[in-house]
Amino acid sequence: MNRQEAEIILQRTFKLSRFYDEQWTTIEKILKGERVLLIEKTGYGKSLCFQFPAIVHKGTTVIFSPLIALMRDQVKKLKTLGISAKCVNSEQTPEENSQIINDAKAGKIKILYIAPERQENSEWIEATRQMNLSMVVVDEAHCISVWGHDFRPAFRRIINLVNLLPKGLPVLATTATATKKVELDIAEQMGSNLSIIRGNLMRDNFKLFVITVNSEDEKLIWLGKNLQQLPGSGILYTGTRVDTEIYSKWFEFLKIPSSGYNAGLDAESRIAIENGLMKNQWKCVISTNALGMGIDKPDIRFIIHTQIPQSPIHYYQEIGRAGRDNQPSFIILFYNPEDKKLPEAFIEGGRPSISKYEKVITAVKSEMLGERDLMRRTNLKQNQIRVIKADLMEQKIIREVTVGRGKKFEYITGAPQLNTKAFEELRASKTRDLDKMIEYVETTQSRMKYLCDYLGDSSTHSFNNCDNTGLKKIIVSVNDEWTQKLQEFREDYFPVLEVETRGTNLINGVAASYYGVSNVGSALHRSKYENGGDFPDFLLKLILKAYRKKFGQEKFDLILYVPPTKSGDLVKNFAMKVSQVFKFPISHNLIKQRATSEQKVFENAYLKSDNVKDAFMIKTPDEVKGKTILLIDDIFDSGATIKEIGRYLSNLGALKIAPLVIARTVGGDLV
Amino acid sequence: MNKESAYWIALAHLPRWGHLKINNLIIKFYHENKLSIEDFFQLTESDWKNQYGIEYKEIEDLKKAKSELANNAFLAESLNNEGYELIPITSPEYSRTLKENLKAAHAPALLYVKGNKKIMQEKSIAIVGSRNASDKSLEFTDNIAKLASKEYKVVVSGFAKGVDKQALDSAINYKGQSIIVLPQGIMTFGSGFKKYYKQIVDGDVLVLSTFFPKAPWKAELAMARNPIIYGLADEIYVAESSDKGGTWSGVVDGLRKNRKIYVRKPEPNENTANNLLIQKGAIAVDFNGNPLIDYKPSLAEVNQLSLNEPTVNYENKILDLLKTGEYAVKDIIKKLQLTWSEKKLRDYLKSKKEVETINKKPMRFTMKDSTIKQKSLFD
Repeated sequence: MNRQEAEIILQRTFKLSRFYDEQWTTIEKILKGERVLLIEKTGYGKSLCFQFPAIVHKGTTVIFSPLIALMRDQVKKLKTLGISAKCVNSEQTPEENSQIINDAKAGKIKILYIAPERQENSEWIEATRQMNLSMVVVDEAHCISVWGHDFRPAFRRIINLVNLLPKGLPVLATTATATKKVELDIAEQMGSNLSIIRGNLMRDNFKLFVITVNSEDEKLIWLGKNLQQLPGSGILYTGTRVDTEIYSKWFEFLKIPSSGYNAGLDAESRIAIENGLMKNQWKCVISTNALGMGIDKPDIRFIIHTQIPQSPIHYYQEIGRAGRDNQPSFIILFYNPEDKKLPEAFIEGGRPSISKYEKVITAVKSEMLGERDLMRRTNLKQNQIRVIKADLMEQKIIREVTVGRGKKFEYITGAPQLNTKAFEELRASKTRDLDKMIEYVETTQSRMKYLCDYLGDSSTHSFNNCDNTGLKKIIVSVNDEWTQKLQEFREDYFPVLEVETRGTNLINGVAASYYGVSNVGSALHRSKYENGGDFPDFLLKLILKAYRKKFGQEKFDLILYVPPTKSGDLVKNFAMKVSQVFKFPISHNLIKQRATSEQKVFENAYLKSDNVKDAFMIKTPDEVKGKTILLIDDIFDSGATIKEIGRYLSNLGALKIAPLVIARTVGGDLV
Repeated sequence: MNKESAYWIALAHLPRWGHLKINNLIIKFYHENKLSIEDFFQLTESDWKNQYGIEYKEIEDLKKAKSELANNAFLAESLNNEGYELIPITSPEYSRTLKENLKAAHAPALLYVKGNKKIMQEKSIAIVGSRNASDKSLEFTDNIAKLASKEYKVVVSGFAKGVDKQALDSAINYKGQSIIVLPQGIMTFGSGFKKYYKQIVDGDVLVLSTFFPKAPWKAELAMARNPIIYGLADEIYVAESSDKGGTWSGVVDGLRKNRKIYVRKPEPNENTANNLLIQKGAIAVDFNGNPLIDYKPSLAEVNQLSLNEPTVNYENKILDLLKTGEYAVKDIIKKLQLTWSEKKLRDYLKSKKEVETINKKPMRFTMKDSTIKQKSLFD
């Protein structure tokens, strides 16, 4: 097929008049059965490079993509063009996915998007043996590279698959974010016979700003004052989920329409928020950078970061979603030199100590273990296990196999020793990347040029679309009015404790604060571990406010408190004060019937649950029958203790149990 | 990971081609024409016809296999992900013993393995025998496995009940190495991998299959893997055989191929066909596997086992047993140590007027008008 013929089909099916040159070059190679790595900026039109050949080919085209929201959008668009396209991912029900896989087997689907994790699905595995496959596409191909910013182990399998495919079956890998190093890595992994087509990554409709601040407060204040002044709607990226909540509540307090978005939301909620953003229902959506990548809105007018990302390529990727319609878009990065600590912690703490790796290796050598059993056996946090297992799999020391309906890790016969040098190299590389990000912040040259140079874009274009090259610098000014507002907000916002469990009469409770935020944590620490005496009064005031916010004027029949393991009478004395203020009766009869270790010794929730199981007993069970109970404690972490007590009291006939604690820790454990 | 896996899977399982045809093709393209398997599949149909003399029907087979290469790629990736390795006959890792013993006529083009492949390079012995082996046979098996492990010889067995399992467990017990030759596709081995996990991880057990990875157990596959067991071994020891079934046909086949096969000298009055095999050319060995060169079973000893019609003795024994209650054929065979196949016994019993067939699950038999109707032990 020559270009004219192709463009006739293009016109007819996709309603577009012609291809860009690089699109045609790519498509021509694909139609010849070759392999191509296509690196083009967001909004270029990479999708056409696989959608067009897909409809020309007889069989099915399979597209591996990690972006569920994007998949959904593309499938929708293709449907309106009359092309049979479907996706298989975790958002859909197993029944839906099954049906789609069956249709693919029967040849009813032309274009099939599949999330890489689905490769483990047994029905998919069956279907691949029978599907008539014409082409394989690997979207977001940078996920193949450990040197990239978003390495995903599931992509390893995709690469293995690509290397096993027969000659003559076309393969297209695409990405919008690849430095030269990543480009070379991908090329090496995909083997020889690969053409690399790389376009220009610059985005000249961006207006790039960096706002230097001295505190978190300054960020909150500037946003409070100026968010509504920005055009259109956009995205606010924060560094942690807790921050997402805090900014979200702050905007709520200021009556700025916004919505928080995070990995913990169910599919329905996520879709609802994405739809709301598309319809400009909110001024902004607040999210951690773990999400939001898939939102395919053409007119995102601003992207703001409150936390410095780990590298310029992370940054480029995250801001890449803005202004796909080529209209001016505001790109703002807040920077407080303190903020460096978070990514530094990721890099340093990113890897557990070597002894922990060895614990895992020893455990798996003696027995095939699933993740939960591994956590129990080694007493390691879920996050740590996940990092360790990924590294061990990467180094081919262990592998994950399917056993029945679950997955277990097995030790690979004849595996090499743990290569710790690789970790060092990776850590050094990540540190360099972070330094480069700080350089972006501190540069006095064109910011766009800095990013383009970092990415390896070759361009002599001179940019003046940032606050170093003509645009006015943004400075934060703090006045009393706003300081006051912030104070009011701080005393008005209390984290909810989600402990409602089926089969118990626990209801959600509240904490006076997050542990690490503000001075609550340090006050607690002083009393508990530094002989600072009873918990200070301001904590009492705060917890009363929290109570009023959550429970209003509701009364409880009885106050109980969690008996201590080590910290003596602190909680008891505190609970007595609460009892005095509310005038709810208090009972001291809830005790520990067996010794438990301090929960904080246990790194993960499974062990914490085990630790407190059946540990509590009330000497006078009639006291709680038919009563509503306010359960007080100082710290809420995994909630294992509260849940165990709640279960126990429910079995004794308590009507309602609500937890009220001083501080909630961040980064709980189980998802 | 073998990048040509998809091609090898296609070639090794060409329907109705058989080992000889496949291996001859490999010799031609790989050794004579120095083409990789990928290059071979890229040739045109006329190349296949003219350069390789491949006929129409086979060209269709190759074309179909070629159209399924992408599908094989998915399977190969799955195999790789679960830790299975593919070893084609052209690979230096392919068992030399297997190649030499089976040659082009019978050597499988592709091996699926999991575990320490180096085990295939060591000296090896196979221990085979019936599923319903006597205790004497199992003791013999254990002893041979012990001796083999002492001499650092690998024990090859088929993972069936009875002698095979004994051979494996004994080898493990004596800290020797083993190869398990599966009567099914390697991906269906499931619980076996769990049971022998430690040994596989430690490098002492290699699991091997020559069948399509997802093929479930079938009697034909169980038969087909026996030559593989023999092929992987330098020496073969038979603990016990009847005059029909897998073990018997394996030995007969081996003798036909001029393999040296050692058979345990049976005890007097044993109901086995060991003496018959010795008469056919197998070498009698004592409990320690030492050849008994001067042992020549007498005619009577050889005919301990009748070959065709049941002897009167057995008939009476069976009918006597049925007088005491209801029995399923399996139970009768076990109790009386018969060497009959279940089908043969069932047909015989159905043909006897005095025997009543009871249609339960499993089917049972008893004497009509038995005066004593005891409850069977197996009720």
